[in-house]
Parts: sequence; structure tokens; C-alpha cells
Amino acid sequence: MNNDIILAIITSTLRLSVPVMLAAVGCSFSTRAGVTAFGCEGMMAAGAIFAVIGSDFTGSKWIGVLLAVLAGMLVSSLHAVLHVKYKVNATLSGMSVNLLGAALGALALKLVWKVSGMSPEVAAFSKIAATPSLSWMARIPVIGYVLGEQSLFFLITIVVVIVGWVFLYKTTFGLRMRMVGENPVAANTVGINTVRYKYMGVLVCGLLSGLAGAFLSLVGMNRYIMGMTAGRGYVAMVINNLGASNPIGSALSALFFGFFDCLQFVFQGVRTPSQILMMLPYVFTLIICVGNTKRSKGPAGVGQHFDS
Amino acid sequence: MSEITKRYPGTLALNKVDARLEEGEILSLLGENGAGKTTLMKILYGMEKPDAGEIFIHGEKVAFNNPNDAIARGICMVHQHFMLVPAFTVVENVIAGIEPRKGVFIDRRAAESKVAALVEKYRFNIDPHAKVESLSVGEQQRVEILKALYRDAKILILDEPSAVLTPYEVDELFITLRFLREQGTSIVIITHKLKETMNVADRVMVLRNGVLIHDDVKPADTNPQELSEMMVGRLIQLEARHPSPRIGGVKFSVKNLTVKDERGCEKVKDVSFDIREGEILGIAGIEGNGQCELIEALTGLTTPESGEVLLDGKPLCGTARDFIDRGVGHVPEDRTHMGLIAPMTIKCNMILGYQDCPDMSRHKLMRWKEIATYAETCREEFGVKTPTVEAPVSSLSGGNQQKVIIARVLSREHEALIVAHPTRGIDVGAQEYIHNELYKFRDKGKAMLLISADLDEVVKLSDRLLVIYEGRIVADCAPEEFSKVQLGLLMTGNSLESVKEVGA
Amino acid sequence: MNEHSRKRVSDGVMMFGRSALALLVALLIGGVVISLGGYSFVEVYTAIFKGSLGTSRGMLLSLATATPLMFTGLGFAIGIKVGIVNTGLEGQLYMGGLTAALVGIYVDFLPGPTHAAVTMLAGAIGGGAVGLLMGWFRTRFGAPEVITGIMLNSIITYFTGYLVNGPLKPAEAASPQTAPILKSAELSRLASKSQLTTALIVCVILCILIYLLQRRTIWGFKMTAVGMNPLAAKVAGINGSQMYLAALVLSGAMAGLGGAALVQGVFKRFVDIISNGYGFQGIPVSALAAHNPLGVIFAAILFGVLKAGATMVNQSTTIPFEFVDMVQALVVVFVAAPSIILSPIQKIRSFIKKKDSGPAAAGQGGAA
Repeated sequence: MNNDIILAIITSTLRLSVPVMLAAVGCSFSTRAGVTAFGCEGMMAAGAIFAVIGSDFTGSKWIGVLLAVLAGMLVSSLHAVLHVKYKVNATLSGMSVNLLGAALGALALKLVWKVSGMSPEVAAFSKIAATPSLSWMARIPVIGYVLGEQSLFFLITIVVVIVGWVFLYKTTFGLRMRMVGENPVAANTVGINTVRYKYMGVLVCGLLSGLAGAFLSLVGMNRYIMGMTAGRGYVAMVINNLGASNPIGSALSALFFGFFDCLQFVFQGVRTPSQILMMLPYVFTLIICVGNTKRSKGPAGVGQHFDS
Repeated sequence: MSEITKRYPGTLALNKVDARLEEGEILSLLGENGAGKTTLMKILYGMEKPDAGEIFIHGEKVAFNNPNDAIARGICMVHQHFMLVPAFTVVENVIAGIEPRKGVFIDRRAAESKVAALVEKYRFNIDPHAKVESLSVGEQQRVEILKALYRDAKILILDEPSAVLTPYEVDELFITLRFLREQGTSIVIITHKLKETMNVADRVMVLRNGVLIHDDVKPADTNPQELSEMMVGRLIQLEARHPSPRIGGVKFSVKNLTVKDERGCEKVKDVSFDIREGEILGIAGIEGNGQCELIEALTGLTTPESGEVLLDGKPLCGTARDFIDRGVGHVPEDRTHMGLIAPMTIKCNMILGYQDCPDMSRHKLMRWKEIATYAETCREEFGVKTPTVEAPVSSLSGGNQQKVIIARVLSREHEALIVAHPTRGIDVGAQEYIHNELYKFRDKGKAMLLISADLDEVVKLSDRLLVIYEGRIVADCAPEEFSKVQLGLLMTGNSLESVKEVGA
Repeated sequence: MNEHSRKRVSDGVMMFGRSALALLVALLIGGVVISLGGYSFVEVYTAIFKGSLGTSRGMLLSLATATPLMFTGLGFAIGIKVGIVNTGLEGQLYMGGLTAALVGIYVDFLPGPTHAAVTMLAGAIGGGAVGLLMGWFRTRFGAPEVITGIMLNSIITYFTGYLVNGPLKPAEAASPQTAPILKSAELSRLASKSQLTTALIVCVILCILIYLLQRRTIWGFKMTAVGMNPLAAKVAGINGSQMYLAALVLSGAMAGLGGAALVQGVFKRFVDIISNGYGFQGIPVSALAAHNPLGVIFAAILFGVLKAGATMVNQSTTIPFEFVDMVQALVVVFVAAPSIILSPIQKIRSFIKKKDSGPAAAGQGGAA
């Protein structure tokens, strides 16, 4: 009996931490380039809705993913242009992106399908165990069952985390991006194009947040529902902060969120009312945020521009 | 460089300036703040584009679009404010922007060996794997020079290199520069320090107000007095002092003060001193030896760990508000970030901190009419150059901004003043004016604490001098008691006895 | 004095122009999107304005829709003046609505108008308390209000959701809600058959009051100082923490009043979803008003007109009213960075100029 519950918890934790993990890694890139990663919520929402649009129109879920990624990047470019080019306060420009993302979702539902609330069902991703080409993974000893219950996105996420870390800390681009985030004025004097790297950071954040949004709508739900993102973009930001803007740190912190998020499903039917359970991940995030007084060391130059 | 001209909105920064640099020489580019020296070098380094004029290297005409072009030609600049990332290692800082690669990845081994080889060759004595934040200021400057050497610099531009160094570190720097010169590197030192120019330069070039005054002066043929005349255009009293006419009883007293910083390190260690009525007490020291924390404790911005501060015999404690209300005025060290609110009008800045006083407000309502009149009066009295007090304070020049702060503090009734770097970044003319105002305050029988990184200023203004090193007072003397060299030694931790042995 | 007022006026005109331009371009883009969906740009907008301004019913609906927006817009504007981005307005609104509902239902010994006033006050206290919590998190722990606000939004909406689905729900109720508030707690309507109540008047008065407070009092001066340069303000002896706390409490109180207005005026009880984003929509309202409390009055009414018109249009046609949300979001973008609109216009202008003056001008431009 206990074993089943533990398995269920592990499986759900992994599954539910995927969107937050993806977005948090995206936030790492943005923060490392010196741009506060506000706006993930809107990027995620854009990703979620366009994933469904893409999947619906072409019948292919991969096109949906592609569209989601593009939408996320497009929306994030607004944040980038406002903040990097026009020096708008990152929180305000991020907030406007969030508002836009939410509005886009509602509007798209009406314009495309003439409904409100949620879209019709579309072609989506099933779990690994149920996918013919991948079902062999479910037979791997020890981790097979848990792995089988995940979607393909889970594997993509792991790859993203590792590639992200390698990129930031082992490549020349990564070194330069980090320098832009630490001291953009100094980076400018050695000829690094700070504006380009900041844009890159924000666009990667948009890419990954869009991907996270695609996960939300195409895995499990198979459709777009209003308010799907449910504040996960903001949670990703806090988690990134907790993980010191390091992809691996963020990934580990995301697992914690996933754990709290899964409790509402694991304990469904048990006496505690559903809303209290749904509250828990946010309470957890709030406690982390408040208790994290020793601000994790993020890049020193966040919010600075090369000519400030 | 031929006939270089550069215009900024409102000023002509450079007016048809010609400059030349020989191979293997050290050129000192001399001038006051705002003379155009940094602008000229920024153009050479590709950070700015000239509006007119041309640059030639070995007779070949060149044009730079950005620093990379200049670097490709062997020109490197070491900035006054270091362009380093404290969290990165020495190697990372040196290679950023020009990393050796293995495909997409950084070739760490190649980078480390090349950097280590350079450190070895020039005897820099730093650990390539150390994080820059753990290095001393002198060492950090060497990392900056390392950046240039890594890029095979043939022309090295140093912007105010000695501004943050102790006299000993300056000597070390000059040894390095001379060694580089032997190797054929050409060096330009931007400075307004006359003594160093005399010390290390082969040739001196003087700029004033964007115009070339002289460019073939040899230090052997001139003296500081002549050079300063060329720089400012008039004879200025370099060392004239105005000792206090009358010094009375103890007014401001600090007893066994210990202050910790945010990380819990003791920055001020058991410091005690008194300031008397009608006295300016100066504290000399290299920035970073506890001055900031001391000022914060004496103005209510931090609570000291232990010890007490007394004004007229009564203990001073609480917040900045309490200190101001008790009569302690503060001229902060950073006028832009700490002293003024840029978007606010001059009028508002003139009363900043004093808005609760009865002549500024009544029943919690601001008395804007009276405030406007007050601000106008202050503007007249202190000569702040502005057509109206309704303009934002950001529209003023640096000197006039500082005047606003001085006017603000000196127009109120204070018992004591804590003054930090009052003339930083201010030209000589405004400097004289501000010094006079400080004398006037002192002569009313008040107490003043003066902290400045400009040793000349501290020695000139003070009636009595303290030297601070690593949070402790290491000397308490008359300003003329020690020579500048001796003071420099004290500022870097040498004991009083050893300094006395050295002699003047 | 003359020059001073002249500058004030020219600054004001510039700000107004900036907001007007932003709104126009946002409407334009909204129209473009709508036409992509197959509707006629012109038709849509005429229908909207006819709906909201053409009939008295429409105008009343516009003002009623504007009411909660004015409260949250004022709340955001108060915060931003001190440099606080209050993202928790939605949660503060919910909390205010809840506390107002509780006082409205269970306090049964007060007569008519007094009860209504006390209930509103309860709303303000509820929202203000959440603001106080956020302020405490910030000053005591350094937790940014931007994040705590978002988290509290979710926590509070889930918590109130739990309450109206369980403990507070009367047995006979069909949907999640509380018992109805007593008649004495209801706000009086300004016109029959409309949702417009005296809450609007309360809000307008508050906007004016806050404006005067910011301009004329020491407190306002200190807040402005802290908002513009917290370090310099600290050196000048101004207590930043106090200012942040006060701003958050006041800001939350405004949002709470908005919630109370919804409970007392519209729903007459507290329901599951009392607001569909009014808290966040306060941001575009404040942005359009250039964060000026007086401007909030007009900005809120403007958006109220748009939303009401869109709702009415939506009832009779298939035109989606959600595009107003998009227009709102775009307003924030364009107010924040008017250059997005202006620099392409500049480029086109100088391009046209070059073509007109011919090769001579082009030669001059090249040498620079």
C-alpha cells in the first residue's frame, strides 16, 4: 500500500515539475544575461494556446510544439525590446507581457473556435509507456515504471537542463552571456555585444517557457483551458532565484514544487478539501521566497545596461 | 591623431586636437576634469567616434567602429573604474571576449597556460585561478593590464591609474610600466596628478577645455607649478592653508566605536577621537579602510556594534532622522546616488531632509511658496548656476549639483558636519569656492569631520589629521607634521615608528 | 511662478499626449486583430461606442464597470509612486470582498447607511491587512512584493473558494457563495435597474484626496522621494520602510474597497469568482493615467466604456469582447515605451525628407 503511494508521488512529482523546470531554466538564461525574468507567465500562456492551435490546424502535435515555441519567443521579444531597447523597468515590461499572454488566450479561443473557457480536444502526447516507439523504456528495471508514466517532455526537459548548464558554463557564448549579466559595462569594453546577449537570454526564456506551455496543454489535458498556467510562470521565477540562476539548481528546486503540486492529486478523495491542497504549492513558494533572506547569489549586474 | 574634434550636446569636448605617440615612450596626458583627455582616448580606443579628424598608425590611416577594431590594431585601454567581474577568476576575466576555443567549448587549458606565462613574464605575482573579488586593488589593476597584454597590446592607455592606489602600489605600477616600455610598448597615462607625471613620463601633453596647449613638454624641463598653470590657465595656490582662528572645547566626541558591515566583519575597530569647536578634523586613508562605515555610524545610517557618539556631551543615537534633528549635517560621498534625487527639482532637493522643519511645512502640509523663496535665496547665496529653481537637479553640472548639497546643508543650523569627498569630480574653480564655504562654517565655532580620498585636500583643509587603516586610527597629528610620502606609508599600514625613521 | 506653471502645464500635456497616443495605437492594433477574425474594424468599434455611450443603459453600465477598475487602478498608482509594484491587488480585492461580506451578513445591529459604510470599511481593512502582510514580508525579510503578491493572489482565491464551497455556503444555495448580505449593508444605486452604486462617488473622492495628499503633504513629498531615489531619501532621514508599508496598506485598502463595492453593489453576497482579473487590470488603468490618481478617474471610465461596449456588443453578435483585454495590455506596452510608436514614424519622416531634398542632403548625412 505504502509503496504504491510512494511510486505515485515520485511519478507525479516528476511529471508536474516539468513545466516549472523548463520555465525555470529559461529564467536562468534570462537572469544570467542580466534581465529579470518576469513575463514567463505570459510566454507560457502563449505557448499553451498556440500549441493547441497548431495541433488542431495540422493534426500534428509536433507542429503544435513548434508553434508554441515560436509564440513564446515572439511574446518574449516584446519584453526584450521594452526592457533592453527602451529601458523600461523589467517588472513592468514583464507584467505587460503577462497581461498580453492571458488576453491572447481568451481572444484566440473566441476567434478560432468561437468558444470560451476551453478549446476542443486536439492531438497530444501520451505517456512513454503508451507510445509504441518508446515503450521499451518502460521495461528498464528499477526506473522503468516511473519513466513509463512520464511524457516525452520529461526526457526533453532533462536534456534541456544538462545542455543549458553546459552551455552557460563551458562554452564561449555562455561565458560572454554571464559576463553581460555580471557587468555589462565591462563586457562592452571588451567588445561583447551586450544587447545581443540580453536578447538571446530573453528569447531562450521565451522558447523554454513556450515549451512549458505546450506541455501544459498537450500533455494530459489535450486542450487549452483558460487560466491553465495558474501562476506557474511566477513560480518558475522564484524557483530560479532559489536555484541561484543555475540550471541544475533550478531543476532541483523545481522538483520541490512538483512535489507539493502533486499532493492534490495523490490525496484526492481523502478528507482535505481540494482547494486547500491546491493552495499548498503556492504557500510553499511563498515560504521559500520569504525565508530566503540570504538572497541566493545571482548575477551582479541584473537590470543594468551597458551605458548605465 | 590629427585635428580630432568631438561634440557632445551642449559642449565642444575636443577642438581640432593633434596628438602623437612615439614607439616605446610613456606619454602623460594632463588636464583638469572635463579637459577632454578621457574623450580623446576613448576615440583612440574606438569607444567613441570623432566628428572630425583622423587617426594614423605607423602612417596608415585607420578608423575604429568599436573597441574590437582598436584591439585588433594593438590598442588597449585600462579604465579608471575596473572593468572586471568580481565573481569570475583572473583567467575568465582576461579571456572574456577572445576565448581560445575547441569548437563551441572554451579551451581552458590553452587559456590558463597563456595567462600563467604572461604572469610569469611580467612578474605580476597573482594566482590565475583566484577570483578577482579576493584580490587587492593593485592586483586587480594588474589583471586589467594582463587583459591588454593577452591581446598583444602595442599601445596601452591607462586612465587615472593611480587614483585608487597607495603610494607604494603606484611605485610598483611605474616599475611595471617602465619594464613594458623597454619591451617596446607605448603607454599613454591620462592623469591630473602632477607629481606622477614628473616621476614617470617621458613626455607631457596638456589639454585644457578641449584644446591642445602643449604637447612637447619634457618633465626634466619643467616643474609642477608650471604644469598646473598650463592645465588651469592661471596660477593657483596649490597648498595655501587657512588654519582655524579659534579652537574651543570638545563638541563632537566618538568613544570606542566599533562598526560591523552587513557580512558581520568589523570595519571600524574601537575608534575614539574628539572634534573641537571651530575645528576641522580630517581623516586620511585609502578608500575601503572603514571610512564608509564610520560615516554611516556618525550619521545614523548604521547602528554601531559598540561605543558611543556624543554631541555637546549628550549621546547621539537612532536613525538618520534623529541625527539630523539633533543638528548633525551630512554631505554624502556620492552626490548622484546619495545626495540628490535627480528627477526632482532643484527647489525640492534644496529642502531634502528638512521638509519637516517649521519654515518648510505646517500641520503636515508643505509650504511650497515659502520653499520656493527659500530655494531662490540659497541659489543666489551659493552661486548655483541655473535660470530657475524649478528645473530638475539633473540639468545642473556636477559642480553646481555639489553646490546645491553644500547650500542645503550650510543654510540650516547645524552643530556639526560630516563631510565626505566634497570636491570629488569637481574642477578647481568650484573646489576653491566649496572650500571657502567649509571654512566659513568652521569659523562660526562648529565642528566638522572631513573625509576625503584626496590627500592634498585633507591636508590643506584640516586643523588636525587622523590616519585610518583597516578600521583603526593609526596616527593623530598636525597636518604639516608628516610629508605626503610618510602619510602614504601610514595609510598603508606601516607603523608610526618605522615611518618616523624614514624621514620626510 | 509663471514659468513654473507653464512647465507644469507642458509636462501635463506631454503626459496626456503620451497616454492618448498609446490608447489610440492600442485600439488600432486591436482593430487589426479583430479584422483578422473576419469582422469589420469600423463596424466593431462603432458598435462598441454606440452600445456604451449611445444608450443610458450603456452609459450606466460603463460607469458601473469602471468602478472596480478605478479602485484597483488607484491602488496600483499609489504603490508605483513609491516604487512598489503591487501585483497582489487581485488577492486584496478578494479578501476585502470577503471581510465586507462577513460584516454585511453577520453584523445585524446597525441601521441602513451606517451599516453600508462600516461594511465598506471592513473591505478596506481586509485588503489593507493583506497589503500589510506583503509590506511586512518586504521590510522584515526582504521578500519582493512583486512575487509575494502573486503567491498571495492564488492562496487567497483558493482559500475563499474553499470557504464558499464549504463552511460559508448556505445549504439551499445552488452555486458556491455565501449567504446574502443584509439589506442595510447594500450600497444604494445611483440609478434604478443598474449596477452603478455610490461606490463610484466614494472612489472619485478618494482619487482626489490621494492626489492632494501626494502633492501637498509632507508624507506625499517623502513618498515621492523614496520612489525616485530610496538611498538618497534614506540619507536625508526619510524612513523608506515606513513608506513602503504605508503604500502597501493603502494600496491594498483600495483594492479591498473594490471588492467590497462588488459584494455590496453587484452580487449582494460573496461568490466563488467575484473578480475576473480586476486586480491585474488596475495596471493598464494606472498606466494610461500615467500613474496619476486624478488621471485614474478618467482612465478607469475609458476602459469601463470599452469593456461595457464590448460586453453589450457581445450579447447581440459573435464579436468577442476579450479583445478589450488585449487592448488593455497593449496600452501598458505603449505607455511604457512610446518610442515604439514614435521611432518608426520618425524614420519614415526622415526618409521622406531625404527623398525630397535630393542627393545634396544625402551627401551631408553621409559625412557624419
